[in-house]
Amino acid sequence: MDATEIPLKAPSVPTDVPTSNVEQIERALIDASTRVPVLMFYTSAIVWLLFGTLLAGFVSFKLHSPDWFSNVSFLTWGRVRPAHMNVMVYGWASMAGMGTAIWLMARLCRTVLRHPLLLVAGAGFWNFGVLLGVGGILVGDSTGYQWLEFPPYAAIVLFVAYSLIISWAVLMFRFRRGDQIYITQWYLLGAFLWFPWLYAAAQLMLFVVPVQGVMQAAVSWWFANNLLFLWFGAIGLGTAYYMIPKVIGRPVYSYHLATIGFWTYALFSSWTGMQRLVDGPFPAWMITASIAATILTIIPVATVGLNHHMTMQGYFPLMRYSPTLRFTVFGAISYTVFSALGVLISLRSVARYVNFTQASIAYSHLGLYAFFTMVIFGSMYYIVPRLVGREWRYASLIKLHFWASVYGIGLMILMLLAGGFLQGANMDNPSLAFSESTQTILPYLRGRSLSGVLLTVSHFVFAFHFGLMLFGLGRTSSVPTFLNPVETEGSEAHV
Amino acid sequence: MNEQTSPPDQRVRQGMDYGESEEVQEVHAAIQREKREPRVGLEPLSIWLIAVYGLAVFFGGAYLGRYSGNFSGDGLDPLGGPPPTKKAGGAQGEQQQAELTPHDRGKKIFAANCQTCHQANGLGVPGQYPPLAGSEFTTGGSRRPGMIVLKGLEGPVTVKGQKFGTAVMQPWDKTLTDQRIADVLTYERSEWGNNASPVTGEQIAALRKELANHPSSFTEPDLLGVPADAELPGGAPVGAAPPKPGAPPQPQSSPAS
Repeated sequence: MDATEIPLKAPSVPTDVPTSNVEQIERALIDASTRVPVLMFYTSAIVWLLFGTLLAGFVSFKLHSPDWFSNVSFLTWGRVRPAHMNVMVYGWASMAGMGTAIWLMARLCRTVLRHPLLLVAGAGFWNFGVLLGVGGILVGDSTGYQWLEFPPYAAIVLFVAYSLIISWAVLMFRFRRGDQIYITQWYLLGAFLWFPWLYAAAQLMLFVVPVQGVMQAAVSWWFANNLLFLWFGAIGLGTAYYMIPKVIGRPVYSYHLATIGFWTYALFSSWTGMQRLVDGPFPAWMITASIAATILTIIPVATVGLNHHMTMQGYFPLMRYSPTLRFTVFGAISYTVFSALGVLISLRSVARYVNFTQASIAYSHLGLYAFFTMVIFGSMYYIVPRLVGREWRYASLIKLHFWASVYGIGLMILMLLAGGFLQGANMDNPSLAFSESTQTILPYLRGRSLSGVLLTVSHFVFAFHFGLMLFGLGRTSSVPTFLNPVETEGSEAHV
Repeated sequence: MNEQTSPPDQRVRQGMDYGESEEVQEVHAAIQREKREPRVGLEPLSIWLIAVYGLAVFFGGAYLGRYSGNFSGDGLDPLGGPPPTKKAGGAQGEQQQAELTPHDRGKKIFAANCQTCHQANGLGVPGQYPPLAGSEFTTGGSRRPGMIVLKGLEGPVTVKGQKFGTAVMQPWDKTLTDQRIADVLTYERSEWGNNASPVTGEQIAALRKELANHPSSFTEPDLLGVPADAELPGGAPVGAAPPKPGAPPQPQSSPAS
């Protein structure tokens, strides 16, 4: 194959390059073509992340110090909390995930990014939609459904934005080169098609033609849970399937495992959601079907976990050096923990205690942060240097980011889980008044606020580092930034 | 898009970014050292993993079978226990109502509506609200209290030898149902040492019909125009022989004015 096949300005390299270099030139061209859209998604995502972090801290403090700004209507708990969740879900996680997905699609379709205007417009509309939605929530237009709080006028804008992005994804897939479709592409294409299905179905059944009574709660939880699985989960797993073998330079362990993992994931995940309503006024079989499906998600989780583990086998020491690998593997492990916890707290005998307690918040954070966000951080550490043409500035900042995130999210989940179980046991105790059950978890809520401080540090450090990269400030370097000094020869390649 | 060469910088630097180097390297180091795009191996499925699949399917299926509630559209019990909600709910509701005696129900109604003035101990407030405990109006025949509660009372009134009259009692016929009025009367007539006959909803319904055209609140003369031991229409409920003889107050001896 010849470099001139690639429809972009030819790079300034000697024409008689050896064939192994053709691939490199190809990558360079692809990376250059993704620069503007992907950086646009990443930058917006990080700005939303900082905003969402501040909101989160505010919400967390309000839980144990409720008098804070309680006389300012748009700073009350009932508005700031949905604002925080939606900023994180649609502003940060979705935008960062889409940024990574765009880059991966371009790389794996082995074609330069076509129609970047679709993406630029999509990112613009998406930002506008999130801004409108968060503003709507803060002035009191929230719809009151978990993760669907954006008022309908913002949802329409998001739809427009998304239709631009999805048409780009389909176009890219159409123009792919090479006859193989890699695992990551399965997941990404799946996610790109599942998201509009989830979002449209939920909007339709809740706002356009509302279903009756309690069934609205069923629709709402089905959506929230599946957004976690089929949108964020699919993007996160797809990214991990790329980053792990890419960084260590070894094929994924098994194609068969990957196939089973993907299809069973698609099949069982979409049945889940109702398990969050145990003991609610629903036909028992609906809830039980969701619980059974959650139990069956053990199959894809074990399969994907084993596949990643066997791929990493023997290469774990590389996590000492590579930021990408460290974040990604942490995320992949968290995915297993997240799923196992999901099975545990969905069982009726456990759910009757932990339902509607802080434990379910721990579960959401385990999925959206410890798994998804960490994987996306990892991918950003890989992708951003290739887009801006610079190496990461300071290993110390990366380390600080990693450890603050790990300790922050670890502490948060521990506090919320322990607090949640305690809260559940107290609420189940008929001799205790409800107010006592909430008072006993106050220390845990304070602990959670402490973890919020750690996460805030981590996010601001990362945003600062990203800013340095974007504007080319700070220490410059032409060697890869490792987390620790390299002791052995040959590991230099693994970044 | 890919021409981002910034002007040469004067500062002394440790190294150079790829984008800034003199001879622009399109294929920069990060890409050169990059491993090839990931491939997929073809390792077979492990037998242990298949065992895990089997276990998951087994437990999932068993769970579904055990807690399916027989896949009934309106079975809320996961074990499929008591049949459909409507019947169960109805029966249970009635049962619950039946479990509460008229006296207990009356106590709740009293606490919600009457207690503010007449007080929980039924003694009222001296000079303002007449007592119910031991009152000749409450414990006499059921007709007088029925009239008072249905249509209200205003103007001066003498109860247990004391004069009242600053407050007005509102009519309750618009607010409380027949059964509720009956329950609260039953409660008042048998609490605080009172020992008069219970009142039924049918009796109050009959009285309500009878007084339908009565425009305003009763006054003391209206009440005294009714014999003190007059019972409500519909008669005493079967089997509830009113222990009238034991009733404390002097039925006839309170011609106040």
